[in-house]
Amino acid sequence: MFTNRAEKLFVWVFFPLALLMPLLLEQNTFYVNKLATILILSIFVMSLDYLVGRCGLVTLGHALFYGLGGYLFVMLTPEYEAVNFWVYTFYVLAIASLIALVVGFIVLRTSGIYMIMITLALAQMCFYFFSDSTDFGGNDGVFIYIKPETDVFGLSLFDLDNPVHFYYLCLLSLFNVLLFFKLVMRSKFGRIVDAVQENPERTTALGYNVFHFRLASYVIASALGAYAGYLFALQYGFVNPSMLSWQTSGTALVMSILGGMGTLYGAILGTFVYEGLHYGFEHLTENWMLPMGVLIILMVLAFRHGLAGYLESLVEKRK
Amino acid sequence: MDITLFLFQLMNGVQYGLLLFLIASGLTLVFGVMGILNLAHGSMYMVGAYLAYYFVNTTGSFGVAAVISAIIALLLGILIERTLIIRLYRRNHLDQVLLTIGLIFVFNALQSLLWGNDPLGVTVPTWLDGAIPLTDMIEYPVYRLFVSLLCILIGIGMYLTINRTRLGMLIRAGESNRDMVECLGVNINRLYTLVFATGVALAAIAGIVSAPMVSVVPGMGEHVLIACFVVVVIGGMGSIKGAFVGALMVGIVDTFSSIMLPQLSSMMIYILMAVVLLVKPKGLFAH
Repeated sequence: MFTNRAEKLFVWVFFPLALLMPLLLEQNTFYVNKLATILILSIFVMSLDYLVGRCGLVTLGHALFYGLGGYLFVMLTPEYEAVNFWVYTFYVLAIASLIALVVGFIVLRTSGIYMIMITLALAQMCFYFFSDSTDFGGNDGVFIYIKPETDVFGLSLFDLDNPVHFYYLCLLSLFNVLLFFKLVMRSKFGRIVDAVQENPERTTALGYNVFHFRLASYVIASALGAYAGYLFALQYGFVNPSMLSWQTSGTALVMSILGGMGTLYGAILGTFVYEGLHYGFEHLTENWMLPMGVLIILMVLAFRHGLAGYLESLVEKRK
Repeated sequence: MDITLFLFQLMNGVQYGLLLFLIASGLTLVFGVMGILNLAHGSMYMVGAYLAYYFVNTTGSFGVAAVISAIIALLLGILIERTLIIRLYRRNHLDQVLLTIGLIFVFNALQSLLWGNDPLGVTVPTWLDGAIPLTDMIEYPVYRLFVSLLCILIGIGMYLTINRTRLGMLIRAGESNRDMVECLGVNINRLYTLVFATGVALAAIAGIVSAPMVSVVPGMGEHVLIACFVVVVIGGMGSIKGAFVGALMVGIVDTFSSIMLPQLSSMMIYILMAVVLLVKPKGLFAH
């Protein structure tokens, strides 16, 4: 499954460590919550990494689905009644996929720079829709008063209100998403997706409809992006328009590049390092954007294969 | 809506459109000639507005402040192109997007460091501080007319430069084939620096003249950037004529929708864009 040595190393170090984290933190809920948020973001960034790095579809509007994941849940759920987590996970994924199908149909008609701008503009359109709407709390967003129950046939597996339980749900989700993407990439579908990125003309000549493969990938990545937004909404019990803002899309792109574009596991690396730096800079100075901006610029100029590329070169050297 | 109110709003829409044209033309010029998508273009608008605020307060004259600010913006453009953008010419769009996002971060931080996060105001210069009565009830500010006129003059200047001068010929040539222009003995790097600095200056000038009309606030650049994207997508990437038509459409639609459809007003320009794209996926005046 994990063929690359660096990737294997990362998976074997990261996931056991992440499993132990809540025990090491001894119920320090602030850090458990913080880490869970970063795990959620990793899912979001990984879905973007698949789209940009593996399919060559550069979008600056991926936050559209992150936000929709949260808002869809708010729209679907009754205000004072606990719903079932599994059923609503299905609803959110299904509706987000349908929306992605329509949006993908429009944005994939274009490519390159046009696609960047159109995805951005569509995401902004949704951003304004929610920030201007009186039904969804405008700029303040909406609170979710009652978290879903997780019963399956009367058996409650975990409690979403418990930060440690929630942390493990996020970790399991992240692992599954990584596994899922690895399986997709190994399948025949994944091979064709790789071929499409490598050379769309030749793939067309081989008899494959490039548009269909792009659209399918767009739907998959968008649905998983929405799942991340849905988890975020469940964790904090509220959604607000900033989830849809272009800054959310932009920073996710930065994280994915920082980790190493197209490597999938690099998305986790990139998200953790970016969020770590963000947290650190924020404690040092109110203007954390200054060191962060300089770092991003240096990264683009000098550090072209991201952290995953760096890790790979280290592992290969040792061999 | 009676006819005078309609005309009044139309003038507002056209004025907003002309201002957008000034900013969007810089964005589209830089993209058309150099193939660079500058996301920090909106930050240049913000920089213009903040510089105008600063120099109006230190020199006391709007005219002097405007000239100093525009020159600083031009120099800033040269600096950015020479140190950063020059490394991006052979890279893909993704790297351009990232580097310019980094620039947005830096400019936002510098703005908050130098001027804080409170909204600031610039007063309209006294020689332009009047209003022309349209009817007994409605009057139109002279300053807005001045801004429209300035935008039109700059637009005509750009049109003449690009279509009637040797420099414009080189710019058009560089647009279609960089390597060939270089082979013919033209210093293309100097041309690129000039184009990028002009783009920055256009955004900054828009920021400078906007400063007395809007409040100078953090994040003003990002809002304008997104509107410019819509303009450029509608008009066709790289086309100045397209930017002009797109900007007027966006300005007028945005102004009228905020009166007639207040609930949908901030979405209307995106709907306009989606409709245009369905008919013409590469914009109205794409090459």
